Amino acid sequence: MSPSSVKAIAEPRGAPRRGWHRFANPGRFLRAASKVQPWLTAFGVVLTAVGLIWGLFFAPADWQQGDAVRIMYIHVPAAWLASAGYLMLALCSAASLVWRHPLADLAAAEIGPIGAGFTALCLATGSLWGKPMWGAWWVWDARLTSVLVLFFLYLGHITLVRAFDDPTRGYRAGAILALLGVVNLPIIKFSVDWWNTLHQPATISLTGAPSMYIGMLWPLAFSAVGYACVFAALALAGTRAAVMERRIRALLLAEAARAEDSVPGAADALETQVPA
Amino acid sequence: MAIKRGVPAILKRKHRRLILLLACGLGLGSATALVLSAFRQNLVFFVLPSDLAAQHPSPERTLRLGGLVETGSVHRSTKGKEVDVRFRITDGHTAVPVTFNGVLPDLFREGQGVVALGTLGADGTFHASEVLAKHDETYMPKDVAEALKRKGLWNPAKGPPPPASTWNTLTVPVTTPAAAAPTASAGERQTGY
Amino acid sequence: MTHLPFIAASYALAVLVPAAFGLNAYQRLRRARRRLAALSGHGHKARSAGNP
Repeated sequence: MSPSSVKAIAEPRGAPRRGWHRFANPGRFLRAASKVQPWLTAFGVVLTAVGLIWGLFFAPADWQQGDAVRIMYIHVPAAWLASAGYLMLALCSAASLVWRHPLADLAAAEIGPIGAGFTALCLATGSLWGKPMWGAWWVWDARLTSVLVLFFLYLGHITLVRAFDDPTRGYRAGAILALLGVVNLPIIKFSVDWWNTLHQPATISLTGAPSMYIGMLWPLAFSAVGYACVFAALALAGTRAAVMERRIRALLLAEAARAEDSVPGAADALETQVPA
Repeated sequence: MAIKRGVPAILKRKHRRLILLLACGLGLGSATALVLSAFRQNLVFFVLPSDLAAQHPSPERTLRLGGLVETGSVHRSTKGKEVDVRFRITDGHTAVPVTFNGVLPDLFREGQGVVALGTLGADGTFHASEVLAKHDETYMPKDVAEALKRKGLWNPAKGPPPPASTWNTLTVPVTTPAAAAPTASAGERQTGY
Repeated sequence: MTHLPFIAASYALAVLVPAAFGLNAYQRLRRARRRLAALSGHGHKARSAGNP
């Protein structure tokens, strides 16, 4: 293959890769993240508070569900973020496996527990909603089961990433699991259309008008955008902390190496303990 | 020169990894799609009255029967907190009589989607040990529902309500009786139970 | 309000779950920043002592 044809293949993806790799520099990432994060946190907290207070006290009760419908303002955003968070986890995993982006592994490891938390929130509020409305805390229908599988995928990722002595191997294994689990996302989305489920089909879709009263749609929009900002802020804060913790480890190792340098012969012994 | 030749080599490796990843994704996706379509029948949470008529399951087999509570079919006889209730579950083609003794969920009413767990008796009656209510994807305030019913735009026992865009303009509490909404036949949007 | 226990439990979880994550992230960031400041200050001194 001639150099020019190689270049032709490489060129189209050259530009976006350069874009992401700007943040491969941890110092630049930390500076950018510390500027964005306070705003993201503030937006998230304020929008979520407005959405939840509106939903709890001011939105109308449903004609057949009564006030139990207010659980929707938590359950629906949590469910959306459980899936969206997994998509982010998968994108980070792809960026790690294909492009070896140094921040993607750290971000994936941080998104895992937060996604699991939101999935747990979705399952718990769904249960609290299902008992008075359906008459059951839990049923094994396709929607509920596929979301439970999503929760276990998150737990598996959390465990796998931390299971190896060599963090690189853990990140690699976690990324592969995360990408395998992506097949579950369309199953969750379309389970209510493909099979008979106890769970109702989607109220809000990209193609059609939502079958929800406008006075209930607004607080839902606020809490959904608010929770999304909270999720992003949490992931960003976690990644910042992880970058700093990595730098602390590097500094400690460097300091230990310097200290051993002054003792002749000890550096070799240290070398065997410190992974390259 | 050595560096210049090294850069395309790295790009090529990334390119190969991306193709490998996409190929694995394609393989996994199609395998999952095949498995899911193969198990499609086993993944259903409930069977419809028509399926029940076609299958004739044995009396000792526990199964879930789903559909709408047929309008005018509910007969209750209260004994303390628990109720003896008889009703029929329909999917529009076939209706199955159901008996149940216990606490019904709040959403149980005529025209509501329900899923009953139980066995089919020899006489063709379904003996339910548990009844779950299935609520639809519509969210509507009480006043709006009352207004729609009063104007004859919707009968909850007959089917789902007209689209939200026709009643979003109804204010809560309803003060504009002239708020005209196009009449949608409630029956024609019957969901496919 | 109907179904009050279910609604109250849901809203409690809705606040507590993100708040717990937020508190954890805040503490991690604060601890990391402090250790980093201490380490780089220490390293700086060591280096200046090593290379006069």
